[in-house]
Amino acid sequence: MNAIEIEHLKKYYGEVKAVDDVSFTVEEGQFFAFLGVNGAGKSTTISVLCGRTPRDGGRVKIGGFDIDGHLDEAKKSLGVVFQECVLDRALSVRDNLKYRAALYGIAGAKFTEKLQTLCDLFDLEGFLKRPVGKLSGGQRRRVDIARALVHDPKILILDEPTTGLDPQTRRQVWDVVHALRKERGLTVFLTTHYMEEAADADRVVILDGGKVLAEGTPLELKNAYTGDFITLYGADESELQKAGLDYEKVGNGVRIFVKNTAEATALILKYPALFTDYEVTKGGMDDVFLAVTGKRGERL
Amino acid sequence: MTTLRYLVARNCKLFFKDKGVLLPSLLAPLILLFLFLAFLGNVYRSSIRSVVEEGGFALSGGLVESIASGWLVSSLLAVCAVSIAFTANLIMVQDKVTGAVNDLRVTPVKRQTLSVSYFISTFLVTACVCFIALGAGFVYMAIAGWHLSAGDVFLTVADVLLLTLFGTGFSAIVCRFVKSQGGIAAVQATVSSAYGFLCGAYMPLANMAAWLRDLVMCLPGTYGTGLLHEHLMGGAIEAVTGEGVPPQFVTALKEGFDCSLDFFGHGVPEWACYLVLGAAVAVLLCVFVLLCMAEKKGRSAK
Repeated sequence: MNAIEIEHLKKYYGEVKAVDDVSFTVEEGQFFAFLGVNGAGKSTTISVLCGRTPRDGGRVKIGGFDIDGHLDEAKKSLGVVFQECVLDRALSVRDNLKYRAALYGIAGAKFTEKLQTLCDLFDLEGFLKRPVGKLSGGQRRRVDIARALVHDPKILILDEPTTGLDPQTRRQVWDVVHALRKERGLTVFLTTHYMEEAADADRVVILDGGKVLAEGTPLELKNAYTGDFITLYGADESELQKAGLDYEKVGNGVRIFVKNTAEATALILKYPALFTDYEVTKGGMDDVFLAVTGKRGERL
Repeated sequence: MTTLRYLVARNCKLFFKDKGVLLPSLLAPLILLFLFLAFLGNVYRSSIRSVVEEGGFALSGGLVESIASGWLVSSLLAVCAVSIAFTANLIMVQDKVTGAVNDLRVTPVKRQTLSVSYFISTFLVTACVCFIALGAGFVYMAIAGWHLSAGDVFLTVADVLLLTLFGTGFSAIVCRFVKSQGGIAAVQATVSSAYGFLCGAYMPLANMAAWLRDLVMCLPGTYGTGLLHEHLMGGAIEAVTGEGVPPQFVTALKEGFDCSLDFFGHGVPEWACYLVLGAAVAVLLCVFVLLCMAEKKGRSAK
């Protein structure tokens, strides 16, 4: 079953087509990455998904509920963590969770039980009574995610959740999210600027100018939009030139760009004497993203 | 109802936890009282004396002090009920500025519930601050000379609640269109400085130019101020007769200090003041409800 279904979604601001005929689906339990440069239409799409922004066309289903007519049910399926922390800074962590839970009808004993679960999951006990304004960035993020999950949603939307966080805190955030996926089968819908975070996704959609430019698994995208690199160590450059290979110097060796792994294999078999110390690596998600959004004319 | 209750609790707690908002709100009435006393106290005292001295009578210092304290406290409450409501509505504006309102809207909570929660919390916070001010005012009036009956106290409480409702409705409508911290600061500054004059709190209507008096009498806040003047000063002014001052001077004092309002030559009885203020509250509530409905309709139409 699909957790999210978007068909021909359109959202215009006057002449600007913020989202222009976008369609994609996210399967239940999937880790879905939604990528795009600033202004690509990611936030608008999320805003429509959450029922905050009316759309100009298309159909949206969340957790099996069409947001036309079943918006409340759809909203109950969603937990959202925005890029900017929107917790009430003057209130304690407990109050932030309590007031959010009440909006989903969770109060009294039910909330106490839920709070204990969240404390165990996110290790909040130590600063439960502290005002949010006095927490570190990492602690705040944990509270943010805990609050988004207070009503046990099936889908967690993370809108650039790790922007501005230090590497250690980013790791903490992802450890929690991946643990939740594993334990609860949570569907995660992620937008991010860190391409290495998208590399772990089950499925990736790249948006630009309000349109879907590419979608697939990270491997499919790498295969389609980037090549492989062979890095050669200790090679004689004159031999490379004799063989007519195009290369660039990197660190202790040289790098040769090939279209795919098959071409790399063929090259190694053709010049075995050259390839004594080497490694073959695929292009990263950074390369995919740049190829799709920046240099797509060359490779699409 | 649970959702609304918790939203109201959240809004109130945010107000009382934010020292930057709470302290000025609590201090504002006290500062205003101090300013009144320091700069205008003698003006009012001499005005009170001059009314009876015109007839060759004199009032004891204690009674003059009682009347003046009644005027000061009633004026203070009349201004606070409206200006504090604007400060309390800061929570709604802050939620817009910080994006918290967008975050709240991803939950199943209805937009109308959210609007009503801001309205109720503004009312509760304003009433709370006004009653603290009223308590401080009563202490001051007791020191100056207590002339209030139980009925006066009861009616004063009712006046404060009604004026708070008026201030809440007024601020809820205005703040709905404010989307920035700068905007609310400008609105607060304008209301704090202008409303006191426009509701007849800072100076008696008799001291105003005729055209201004006519204008002010067309504004509903004036009737709320008039009610407070009547209930907090009426007892002390009536006590003037005990010092041998003829009743016509009592009437003159009441008219001179807005305990009896005059609308284009017609005396305005107390019940009419309540009617005007009540009608104003009803109109504000209707506008508020219509705005909520219009927002909902506007979004559905898109």
